[in-house]
Amino acid sequence: MNNRILKRIFKNKASLAGFILVAFFALVALFAPLLAPVHNVHNPYQLPQAGYEVTPQPPSAQHIFGTTEQQYDLYYGVVWGTRLAFKIGITVTFFAFLIGLFLGSAAAYFGGAADEIIMRFTDIVFAVPSLVLAMVIAAMLGPDIKNMMIALTAVAWPSYARLVRGDVLSVKNRDFVTASRALGARGPRLLLKHILPNSIYPSVVVASLDIGYIVLTAASLSFLGLGAQPGTADWGQLIAMARNWVLGSSGNTFAYWYTVAVPGGVIFLFVLGWNLLGDGFRDILDPRQG
Amino acid sequence: MTTPVEIEHLYKSYDRGGVKFWSRTEAKPVLEDISLRVGEREILGLVGESGCGKTTLAKVVLGLEKYQSGSVKVNGLELKELTKAGFKKLRRQVQVVFQDPYSSLDPRQTVRQILCEPWDIHALYADGAQRENALRELVRAVGLDAAHLNRYPHEFSGGQRQRIAIARALALEPKLLVADEPVSALDVSVQAQILNLLKDISRRRALSMLFISHDFAVARFLCDRIAVMYRGRVLETAPAEELLHNPQHPYTEALLSAVPVPDPQLQKKREPVETKTQRKRGSCPCPYAARCRYYQAAQCRVPLELKQTQEGHFCACAVLPFQKEKSLYAV
Repeated sequence: MNNRILKRIFKNKASLAGFILVAFFALVALFAPLLAPVHNVHNPYQLPQAGYEVTPQPPSAQHIFGTTEQQYDLYYGVVWGTRLAFKIGITVTFFAFLIGLFLGSAAAYFGGAADEIIMRFTDIVFAVPSLVLAMVIAAMLGPDIKNMMIALTAVAWPSYARLVRGDVLSVKNRDFVTASRALGARGPRLLLKHILPNSIYPSVVVASLDIGYIVLTAASLSFLGLGAQPGTADWGQLIAMARNWVLGSSGNTFAYWYTVAVPGGVIFLFVLGWNLLGDGFRDILDPRQG
Repeated sequence: MTTPVEIEHLYKSYDRGGVKFWSRTEAKPVLEDISLRVGEREILGLVGESGCGKTTLAKVVLGLEKYQSGSVKVNGLELKELTKAGFKKLRRQVQVVFQDPYSSLDPRQTVRQILCEPWDIHALYADGAQRENALRELVRAVGLDAAHLNRYPHEFSGGQRQRIAIARALALEPKLLVADEPVSALDVSVQAQILNLLKDISRRRALSMLFISHDFAVARFLCDRIAVMYRGRVLETAPAEELLHNPQHPYTEALLSAVPVPDPQLQKKREPVETKTQRKRGSCPCPYAARCRYYQAAQCRVPLELKQTQEGHFCACAVLPFQKEKSLYAV
């Protein structure tokens, strides 16, 4: 089964490219301490600073991607930012998935009033634009990476709740569940042994797609100053620090191109990788393709 | 010994419409005034067209659906009054085989897991060796091989899957088996095997069976008695052969006329009774009135009840007293 999926991913060029991108970022995240030796042992996500000059410096032998405002090293930021991106993406997706799984399956399994209450609440969360809601929550909790992750989780779970609910609803009336009930099985056993194993799969795929999107949203929040603090190796923060240099100097629009292009390009490639990979997953799991 | 199934004046309806809290719901009756009995070691066939309530009745007998009024006794126990523990105990007496063997087996479990589930739930055969023996015996009883135990359902054919489903139903050694069209999803050649298996098992294990079918030929082969249902009501019950050779109710007659006979010469001459629905007859107590060939306005004044016409033969038809002249009134 897993072999079959991998084989089909490698067959499709687009999803293969996605796989390579994601695998590359995963390796960077894994070997971050080797690629960019830690400066501050207490907080490896603290960017090293080469001096206190405000103006960014172009790429050089010492700083291969250059430095951004206040001489923060872009290379270090990109490498450790990859690790942070995975951390944020996977943690948020995991908890959003768990919450959605719990609420969605409870709504579908119990039905009636429980279903109404849970799903209407889900609709309310859905009704507010997710970035705006995340901003409000992050602003209320205070700017911090942990709080940002809480805010992102709070806006990401509804789609899982809906998805899981739909799948549980369709599985719970299948004959094998009824047969198990006729054998004397009760709620927990039915749900854990029969219903969830048969309804969780689509949500897992959506979760893998979501990681890219979550990282993108996290970068937006950081850019707006609601996530990582200045000096943190976070892609969104790196772009935030480039805010004053986007337009370059007078007469030379692209004078400080690297301050935006490096973190921006990394975010772009990361999200692109997950999207391509996710498209591949979706194509493979689409039942119409057999 | 207690009677395996005894149903009296059962009434069940489904609520139509959305959630009770938000929208107005409407009760749609699916089973009305059903009285049936399955005796010890008896196989009762339940025949009727799609949507007549056969499967709902099966689910009520299994305790999987609630009913509004009437009495349903399984092994002498009134289902409505059972506690959770009592209900679980009853599971060991009543088991079910479903129609579609492709959806009745969990695709993510091996045959071993599927067959062990009943024992896990009821904490039986906890000892490993004992369980292994019981498994082998069970698998052999339904004509499968012990080598099949570690495979998944999708590796089997429809007939084999139905054997697995039957084995699962037999694992708890029930006294009553509810079979909900167990062969209608299978190829004809495989149908015969499964029917023979069911017949053989029911004899060997002294099972009673509630056998649901829409196929008279299948019901005739297996059943001792047949009950004909239409729109949530039982219209006629009789011993199988008697029902086939001497149908009393016009609906049974119409159903039988649609069953082909295995003689091409004869089959060519036969013509199924075709009846159009006449809506203006809607308010009659007899659900079949709107399609009845022998409809009389008078029958609408009589309540519908099963009356004995011969020994063991019951029919619910208000025109029956005029049976001899029935054809004269044909519309």
